[in-house]
Amino acid sequence: MRESEDELRALMIAGLGGDARAHHALLSAAARLLRSFFMRRHRDASDVEDLVQDTLVAIHTRRATYDTARHVTAWIYAVARYKLIDHLRRRRLGTNIEGLEEVLAVEGFESATSARMDVDRMLDTLPAKQAMAIRDTRLDGMSIAEAAVQRGISESDVKISVHRGLKALAARLKGGR
Amino acid sequence: MQTQDLIEALSSDLRRVPPHALERRLGAAAALGMMVTLILVLVGLGLRPDLARAILGGMFWLKLGYTASIGLGALAMTATLARPEASHISALKWLLIPMALMGLLGVVDLAETPFSAWGYLWMGRSWKICPFLIFALAIPIYLGLMIAFHRFAPSRLMMTGAVAGLAAGGLAATIYCLHCPEASPLFVLTWYTLGMALAGLAGALAGERLLRW
Repeated sequence: MRESEDELRALMIAGLGGDARAHHALLSAAARLLRSFFMRRHRDASDVEDLVQDTLVAIHTRRATYDTARHVTAWIYAVARYKLIDHLRRRRLGTNIEGLEEVLAVEGFESATSARMDVDRMLDTLPAKQAMAIRDTRLDGMSIAEAAVQRGISESDVKISVHRGLKALAARLKGGR
Repeated sequence: MQTQDLIEALSSDLRRVPPHALERRLGAAAALGMMVTLILVLVGLGLRPDLARAILGGMFWLKLGYTASIGLGALAMTATLARPEASHISALKWLLIPMALMGLLGVVDLAETPFSAWGYLWMGRSWKICPFLIFALAIPIYLGLMIAFHRFAPSRLMMTGAVAGLAAGGLAATIYCLHCPEASPLFVLTWYTLGMALAGLAGALAGERLLRW
């Protein structure tokens, strides 16, 4: 299940207002985002869960630093980036810091995040099944078979949904959205 | 601990975060620090003897406006730097405006003063201690801000420390105006600014350690 920026922001704002269930849902969604964020940048799997937990605690205790007018995913990733850099600095390790420049480069990161958000926004304009199929197979890296099992639909259904969805997006891009 | 258990623990007993909690926390910390600084000025230095007359003149308020605009401007910037996405502070350049205005006043002052008295315009009577007193008076305010930052998430630690130091210096200098009888724009531009800059420099160095989270 992948929540959109709007859903996450609504959860975050409700959490700030004292809604414990919304806060729980936000932290759970954040944990998934963080896990893939750290996995992509840090190969040592045993550290990844520590980083996820560390960042979740920071997101919780420092939630007053979220500006409700801004993207909550950008804020979550900014906290994660600080935690990762801090982690690497503490360890001063010679192991795999491949991609650190990418993490450190704020500008590149911001545009990557907003590109991701643009994609999310475009997918939101598609019928739910097509958007889901594209997310599963093209963004989350599932195979057609895995996506079919996960969603309980047939493989050909997944393929057709991806195909139709991409075609609709391409048409929309050509027409200047 | 499992991540799922952690999430349970964090979201149980959840406290509401009121709107503008960050700004309020910063403001309260600055106000508390300024109280300590005010007490230090009142007890340790004393008010300037001619205060009652000085508040009727323009220079007292120009000095106050100069230091307060830098102090409050920098304080507002710390609110931005308290958020993790803050990458740079473009507003910092606006602090040059009060400096330029004070410089302009200084030039006018020089033009109206015979050359033989220029040295006094620049050095006054207290140039040797003024920057250091401002620096010392900034410490309680700076520490107050650091305590407020315990709940914040700055990502540019040195920059944040510098701006917090500058804010503390500007606010401390504003209180110091109650004691300091110097009335020359050039004096203020040079020695007050030096005191605030020292606070900013020390703030940057200390901030890198104090602000880690």
